[in-house]
Amino acid sequence: MVNQKKLREEVNTLISRNDVKYIIGWEKGSYGFKMKPFFITSSEDVDRLVFNPLCIHNLTVYPMLEEKLPLRKDATEDKSKIGVIVKGCDSRAIVQIIQEKGLNREDIVIIGIPCSGVIDPKKIERLFPLKSETPDIDEDEKNFIIIIKDKIQKIPKQDILMDKCKTCEFPNPLIYDTFIGKEIETVKNADYKEIESFEKKKLSDKWEYWENQFDKCIRCYACRNVCPLCYCKECMVDQLNPQWVRRSVNISENAAWNIMRAFHLAGRCIGCGECERVCPADIPLTKLNKKLEKDVYEMFDYKPGTNIEEKPLLSMFKPDDPEEFVL
Amino acid sequence: MDDLTLPKNKLDMFLNKIKSDYTVYAPVKVDDLVYFKKIEKLKDITLDFYNSKVPPKSIIFKQTETMFKFKQGLDAEIQTLDDKNKKNVIFGIRPCDAKSMSILDNVFEDDFTDPYYVNKRKNTVLVGVSCKQPTINCFCTSMDGGPADSKHLDVLISDIGNRYYVEIKNNKGKSLIDGTRNLFEKVTNNDKKKRLQLEKKSKDEISRNMKTEGISEKLDEIFDDDIWKSISLRCLGCGICTYECPTCHCFDIQDETTLSDGARIRVWDTCMNPEYTVHASGHNPRPARMNRTRNRVYHKFNYFPKNYNLIACVGCGRCINDCPVNIDIIEIINKAREVKT
Repeated sequence: MVNQKKLREEVNTLISRNDVKYIIGWEKGSYGFKMKPFFITSSEDVDRLVFNPLCIHNLTVYPMLEEKLPLRKDATEDKSKIGVIVKGCDSRAIVQIIQEKGLNREDIVIIGIPCSGVIDPKKIERLFPLKSETPDIDEDEKNFIIIIKDKIQKIPKQDILMDKCKTCEFPNPLIYDTFIGKEIETVKNADYKEIESFEKKKLSDKWEYWENQFDKCIRCYACRNVCPLCYCKECMVDQLNPQWVRRSVNISENAAWNIMRAFHLAGRCIGCGECERVCPADIPLTKLNKKLEKDVYEMFDYKPGTNIEEKPLLSMFKPDDPEEFVL
Repeated sequence: MDDLTLPKNKLDMFLNKIKSDYTVYAPVKVDDLVYFKKIEKLKDITLDFYNSKVPPKSIIFKQTETMFKFKQGLDAEIQTLDDKNKKNVIFGIRPCDAKSMSILDNVFEDDFTDPYYVNKRKNTVLVGVSCKQPTINCFCTSMDGGPADSKHLDVLISDIGNRYYVEIKNNKGKSLIDGTRNLFEKVTNNDKKKRLQLEKKSKDEISRNMKTEGISEKLDEIFDDDIWKSISLRCLGCGICTYECPTCHCFDIQDETTLSDGARIRVWDTCMNPEYTVHASGHNPRPARMNRTRNRVYHKFNYFPKNYNLIACVGCGRCINDCPVNIDIIEIINKAREVKT
């Protein structure tokens, strides 16, 4: 695990600079196994900063949510930088957004930390459904160690890891200004076994499956709001003139929304899985994104958010691009 | 009316009987989640649940309500939908969610009576089931409620082991039971004792606590405090907290049309959405997430108390359970009280 003291020291140095307005990290949440995003604005805040395997959030969404409100007459724009702490997967979002010119590299300061996997909140809450105390968390190679009121419990990582972490190809951040800790050796290759077996199902079965899933959607748009790559100024689902998706909440409109969002992320989704984590209806959104990720990888040998020199997939052309799908 | 008991093995008979006279909505498991759904088969019902994902207000105040349909062009006409006399039972509703209906009544029966809500509400019998096991974030006891609070129900059923303890609160509840009165038995002192024990056990397990005394007045003093900015920094601006809230009641009205016909619908709206307050001019009086996060708190704990002398929160904990970034209404209110003015 990352040395918390070192992390705090680094954050303290950064926040003491006068060109950094805040640094986004994590602090303990208000109950149970919750950590929460934490905006550090001064040295006094630094002691509350934590990093542990419950720090699931992809914080790179926050620079994209930064509000630029109209300035008062004599005010000048605050151009100071935003600092953000990133894990491997999170860092890919920054690479992708910079590629797309959604962010300027010089406007952000990135602290990279290697991550050996985070805990799936749904899985751990199933194990401890009614624990309201905030636990201390540690880990060894094979287990997460959960300490509640001095009671130590070891839980095998495989049982409670987020599914995305089990097949993680990028445990180390791909972009950073400061790296804290020791690089984790990467051995895994892209794993699409689950998608492959789903692809083999009958079309009607697949449709029935997705109909049941989309039927649960309450259109809260948490999937969109938590996604660092969903940063359109006006989302097409909010547009009224013309109106692309109706406001009625039913299978037809819900399917339109979810499928549209998945396609809008084709070649852009970096697989942090935040959309699925936040979905209150437990819609397996990663499955949609991962299918498109697989297609993009197989057709164009392209992995979003991995190479800052490259152009975004949909804005480049190579003569040997496959074109079987072009009618 | 005197309390009764119902042997557990007779619950199905009771439900079957009411199913022939009423449309029954009850908790149903869908994967790991529970929803209130229209019941076709009794075996779909689950009573082994904490609370439903979407509050059962959605049966009376639907997420998408078709107000009327119409045809356009030369043969233009309006078709109103008549479900005025459809009788419903919501079986298995929790006491907190039942309380939310009493809160919503104030809004929908105010200076304008909303026929869509009021008709359904009038024709719906609320059969509550006491909570045996509160969740981490339940705090109904802070909101003048409780896991076996029958105040806002027509009938309350409590699981006391091999039988249910049945409390009939009013005529609506009585007429539901009347046809099947022979299934029920008299209560013994032991039943009464068990019923009280159940309530006490559940109450004792509620660990979280919100202090609401004087909160409305306090909020008047701290509207411009920095606390709202610091809370809203991490808010994503999604609609989970409002759509899952049993007392949120804002809606948007739209005409959804094709060339020849269409419908006027109303759908739940959320004050977390920037579009919620945008004027036709483009001006937005709540331009930032801070304004919107604050509005949710103020509507429940300041504006509503001013209008109706009631706090518009029942302590179900849904918004806390599902907030992706741990924005916690208990923490907010308790912190707001400590702000120095």
